[in-house]
Amino acid sequence: MEKIQILDDLNQNIEKIKAMSGNSSDILINEFVTGGISCALICCEGMVSTSVITELVLEPITNIPQKQNVRELFRHIQENLLLSIDRPTAEDYTSMFRLIHSGFAVLLGDGIGKALAFGVQGYAVRGIQEPSGESNIMGAHEGLTETVRTNMSLLRRRLKTPQLVMELFVKGEKSKTDLCLCYMKDRVPESLMKKIRESLDEIRLETILSTGYIRPFVENERFELFSSTGTTERPDVLCSKLIEGRVALLVDGVPFAIVIPKLFCESFQTLDDYAFKPYYATFIRWIKYGAFVISVLLPAVYAAIVMYHPELLNSTLLMLLVESEKKAPLSIITEVIGVLLMYEVIREAGIRLPKPVGGAVSIVSGLIIGDAAVNSGLISTPLLTITALSVISGFVVPELNPPITVLRFAFLAAGGLFGLFGISLLACAVLVNISATEDYGFPYTAPLSPFAKAGMGDTAVRSGIRKMQSRGFTVEEYHE
Amino acid sequence: MNEITRNQFASMLLITDAFALFCFTGSVSLMTVIGLTVGILIQFILAVPLIRLGGISEKPAYIFYLAYLIMWGGLLFGMQWKTSRHIYIPYENSGGIWGKLLISGLIALVCLYISSAGIKAMGRASLIAAFIGAVCLLIAAVSGLVHLETENLFRAVSGRSLFEELATGFALSGGVGSFAILLGITKGSSMKNAAAYFIGKGVLTAALTLTAVMVAGGIMEITDFPVVTAAQVSQPFSSQRIDSLFLIVFAIFAVFSIAVQTAASAYIFGELFPKFVRFRSSVSLLLMIGAAFLLWKVPLNSVVIGAGAAAALFAVPLIILVRRGAESALKKGRT
Repeated sequence: MEKIQILDDLNQNIEKIKAMSGNSSDILINEFVTGGISCALICCEGMVSTSVITELVLEPITNIPQKQNVRELFRHIQENLLLSIDRPTAEDYTSMFRLIHSGFAVLLGDGIGKALAFGVQGYAVRGIQEPSGESNIMGAHEGLTETVRTNMSLLRRRLKTPQLVMELFVKGEKSKTDLCLCYMKDRVPESLMKKIRESLDEIRLETILSTGYIRPFVENERFELFSSTGTTERPDVLCSKLIEGRVALLVDGVPFAIVIPKLFCESFQTLDDYAFKPYYATFIRWIKYGAFVISVLLPAVYAAIVMYHPELLNSTLLMLLVESEKKAPLSIITEVIGVLLMYEVIREAGIRLPKPVGGAVSIVSGLIIGDAAVNSGLISTPLLTITALSVISGFVVPELNPPITVLRFAFLAAGGLFGLFGISLLACAVLVNISATEDYGFPYTAPLSPFAKAGMGDTAVRSGIRKMQSRGFTVEEYHE
Repeated sequence: MNEITRNQFASMLLITDAFALFCFTGSVSLMTVIGLTVGILIQFILAVPLIRLGGISEKPAYIFYLAYLIMWGGLLFGMQWKTSRHIYIPYENSGGIWGKLLISGLIALVCLYISSAGIKAMGRASLIAAFIGAVCLLIAAVSGLVHLETENLFRAVSGRSLFEELATGFALSGGVGSFAILLGITKGSSMKNAAAYFIGKGVLTAALTLTAVMVAGGIMEITDFPVVTAAQVSQPFSSQRIDSLFLIVFAIFAVFSIAVQTAASAYIFGELFPKFVRFRSSVSLLLMIGAAFLLWKVPLNSVVIGAGAAAALFAVPLIILVRRGAESALKKGRT
């Protein structure tokens, strides 16, 4: 966008601002005379704190003694009055509007093509609350917020070291969204930072409204089932990632941070793992691995076994399944697909509806539809149990829910058509897809493949903190 | 760079060797176990020139290895077709020829996807697949413990001499083609990489054949596929069967073993024709399918295949080494 210089004449400037903003109602222009010079203080309604602007800017600025010209007045304000901590200047309209829209009060004077800005932000923000999607028992209960600067402070409070670098920059042609690249300069190679910056330079978006807008630019272009970058809404988790040599990207307006790179095994790690005793954390971790496998494969394996490989079942179980499936009018594969689709519909309805109505959806779906379907004989009880178990297992690893949902259907189709053989073939394809997933040379499957024995201490088991402390792990160990 | 680790290298090759053993037809005996294991030791010794070369990187040699890989890939395809009817793949038997074609087509499709992902990705996946396969085989082997009969060791007769068993070992070692190619792109010392592979191969071959002899030795005369039969006989429970576990291993190993040959062939295509960027894997796979039709009647343990393996492992690298030695001697003489 072409940069138009601010004019010297105040009246012309005001007219220009009105024209450029389309006389927008939220742009407030206060004209006044101070030091004998005509000035205007421009701000955006709702973006500034009225009390701060009155006490810290308007009061001192209107009490300035007579000055010879506007340049002397501006020098006096800049050198003698500390009106705010953040005091940038602007010489073109683009920069000036960005400051106004970011909650700065901008001072224009008659006879100078320059604007002084004062950081007096006071827009309504959500306070720091407990993260809704990443709850834990023993850790902190603070989550990231929508304000990038608050999030930066949350990180700084936990990592009081000059090695933590936070680079603020703006992206989005229309939204002018603040992004913040955070990393530990002693743990991330400069070559990696260069590559990430180059990727971010490719962003030509008009707006950035969620992390999903940015992630494709820092991930591989090839089709990947699983995301090679992660997100977190916990500052403590983010700090642990930074310490491990990862790079974080904070996006203004989004209470999530992007973590680069992400490993598959990390989806099964929570902060609580490090709060409990290692034996319990290891047990819970294996429960999660099992839950992931169950959530993806259980309906498919059930259909495959019942349809093609009944010899795998013992006689009691086989008779029980035969007895219940005998009464069901639909084929097993139709039943499973129907139940899973029904669940997805109910889940989507539960998420999108207002919370009070969402509760009603649970009652209708769980009690009425589920109970009625079984009692009427439309669906067999074992099948409903299997499906419910698979769905609940998927909740154990919420981060992987999107690929789990799609893979569950894909494996079901493969198992229903070709039995365990079909499941095995699809598993090979999925395995290769996961193995091919990497971000900036960090394989997603590390430390399983390429195998890193040292990495097993926080993958197969959860070693003691003393042992982990002596290891001094950074993700660079897995770089290929 | 497309480099793989030692574990990945060994996994890719061991999967191929295990699959060849699954598809091995004819009787196995204690002599077979000894013959195959000693054969692997000989192969390791013969591979020294290749190890010294650190893999193949000469264009004329590439042509030989490409032909060999396509032939072995075709043989693997054929073996999969022949063996699959004993594994009881759903739809295949009931679907007749179309069912068999569909199953083979599916395997080819997955192979194509796997090989087109690149050697690096395939190496990573092979390591995990080998681990899963090893766990399944271990379960089958533990189940087989119940049915082990030590007298079978002496009861089973293969009807082949030790020399013939050694030749069979060579014929079953079609993976040496991909060994020669992959060795050059494996990180670390070539000797250590090769040693890891041959030790793994020795252990795997001895374990599989020994289990097959001890479990299915009594019925060896009427057994088509001894390893498959041993897996089918090995049932841990009286009212439950775990044949499907072997089906999983068979499917995974079939896909990966053919994909390894495809990826290695695609790699050679890339080295021979650098401008040929797209469809390398597709062309390799199509050639292998063509080879499968041509080599349909060739048995896995034929002399020709054994000779091919010996040439890939020993003769060609030796020729390269001698030629290089002569060239450097000539250069020295000139200076």
